[in-house]
Amino acid sequence: MARIKILVIDDELIVRESLIGWLKKEGYEVRGAEGGRRALEMLKEQDYDLAFLDFKMPDMNGIEVLGHIKGSYPQTLVVMITAYGSVENAVEAMKLGANDYLMKPFEPEQLMLLVEKLLQQKKIIDENLLLKAQAAEQTRYQDLIGASPCMQELFGLIEEVARVDSPVLLRGETGTGKELVAKAIHAKSPRRYGPFIPINCGAFSESLLESELFGHETGDFTGATRGKKGRIEMSRGGTLFLDEVGEIPLKMQVDLLRVLQEKTFHRVGGNTNVEVDFRLVSATHRDLTKEIERGVFRQDFYFRLNVIEIEIPPLRRREEDIPLLARHFLERFRRETNQPVAGIREDALKMLQLYDWPGNVRELENAIERTVVLAKGRYLTGEDFEFLFRSSGEEAIPRSLQDMEKHHIDRILKLCHGNISKAAGILEINRTTLHNKIKKYNLRISR
Amino acid sequence: MDEKRADAGGPLGLVPMGRPGELALRIVAANLQGMLRLPVDILSPLEVPEEAFFPRRRQYDAGVILRYLGELDLPAHPRLLGVTHLDLCIPILTYVFGEAQLGGRAAVVSTFRLRQGQGKAQVSMERFYERLAKVALHEVAHTFSLYHCENARCLMAFSPALDRLDEIGLVFCDRCEYMLRQASQGVGG
Repeated sequence: MARIKILVIDDELIVRESLIGWLKKEGYEVRGAEGGRRALEMLKEQDYDLAFLDFKMPDMNGIEVLGHIKGSYPQTLVVMITAYGSVENAVEAMKLGANDYLMKPFEPEQLMLLVEKLLQQKKIIDENLLLKAQAAEQTRYQDLIGASPCMQELFGLIEEVARVDSPVLLRGETGTGKELVAKAIHAKSPRRYGPFIPINCGAFSESLLESELFGHETGDFTGATRGKKGRIEMSRGGTLFLDEVGEIPLKMQVDLLRVLQEKTFHRVGGNTNVEVDFRLVSATHRDLTKEIERGVFRQDFYFRLNVIEIEIPPLRRREEDIPLLARHFLERFRRETNQPVAGIREDALKMLQLYDWPGNVRELENAIERTVVLAKGRYLTGEDFEFLFRSSGEEAIPRSLQDMEKHHIDRILKLCHGNISKAAGILEINRTTLHNKIKKYNLRISR
Repeated sequence: MDEKRADAGGPLGLVPMGRPGELALRIVAANLQGMLRLPVDILSPLEVPEEAFFPRRRQYDAGVILRYLGELDLPAHPRLLGVTHLDLCIPILTYVFGEAQLGGRAAVVSTFRLRQGQGKAQVSMERFYERLAKVALHEVAHTFSLYHCENARCLMAFSPALDRLDEIGLVFCDRCEYMLRQASQGVGG
């Protein structure tokens, strides 16, 4: 078990030393800070379970330090200590989140009981965090993460769809995790011991795509010196995942339709029938019915693909999942990059929930990776994610203060989809003031 | 306990500070020798340093006494235990029965509060000496880097008050006994 870490913050050397000495004899790992600034630096370097904090210090007063600790390191319990003790001081500190207080000098029994009580409290807090983490685990389905009703519904649908062998068409915006859903269907299906073969149909030219899908024979016709199995053949007994199926050229749609109907095909340049046995899952970010209207997608092929349709929700429709996903990616990138990032602050999570995420989960993943790599402190804060809201060139235009205010209110209103209460909360003004400003600047509320 | 501890870094020097009483010193020495197999020399008395006095609290800072003992030029005695009749405290605590440098050279114990019984009554001399021996063993064990023990019956349990001190036995728990043996072997090389 990790040793309990305690930080003693007091400018008086004798107080610091005697408290450190006593706590060390209890077997705790104890360090001392001679002032508030030093303490904040030390808190940046490592987590502490408990901090003893003096009220009066020359460089920073204890209440100020308490505010920093409670704002940035809420898991650290704080005991205020004072020699100048007054009930008012203690009450103020408790209101600001101090967990207890002591007046110097304390009775030996009082100190012992207080430390025991607080460490018990800390244990409960840590257990709660663990339970939360375990609850978050339950929001995982294969590699998909989501506690929101729409994701829970999706997990249920995957479970049902996996049991049958019918083709599935996944619809969702870029970055929503279509391939992960396809993999989850495969992993839950009776074909899970067979291969999962993905192909991004939008990533190949027409001739290459044909060769990739159907394979080819050696010979003069193909110009190939060696025969090659295509993805269709490779997916025997498993699942073939056609990503960006809307990008498949019309001619090849006919060939694929034939494969789906007849369960056989020829390699390019070959004339031997190859039998196939796979489950087809395809995905698109396009509205294929519109593509049919435009004449670039075959209706009969569409009907073949779309026996079961699953829509994957965009991230903006499941903003309650953003903290879960952010923490998941943070954990992953922290391990991958070995950056000393311990967590993400509430203000940062709120900011992430405000953003629209046009690139969906992939964009969130990239944003977290970027902030972890560039992180300056041990915790990611709202400031680290400001880049999401910055449009290029915005800073270059000189503006008046009034212009800036108008622009800022307009942007927050858009971010909040016209929700006045939410926008007023972020702007830290009341609703009436916001209404007055909207009228003054003649702003439009778009929902 | 094995015999090795007897050689662990040389004899412990028992330093009378003020008027702890001749018998108190002999009892402390006997218990240290018996329990820790540590040879003990009773050294010449020394005054408690003046700077240890807390005028406002009319007590003596055990931390200052420890520093004073720790710096004494007594090379034959790698460990020193001060025994005093004066009331000890540390800046953060209203009183202490004793204090020690964790893994260091010096420890100090006070007889001042150890006679107290229920209300204004005093405990028997037998109980008083038993208390003194417990505090002395506890503090000296700290100099061998032993922490406080969670076993409420062990000599290394923290006793914030006399009733708690009376509840513990005059014995180390198996774990502390083992740690003490390891630590003293390490010191004795």
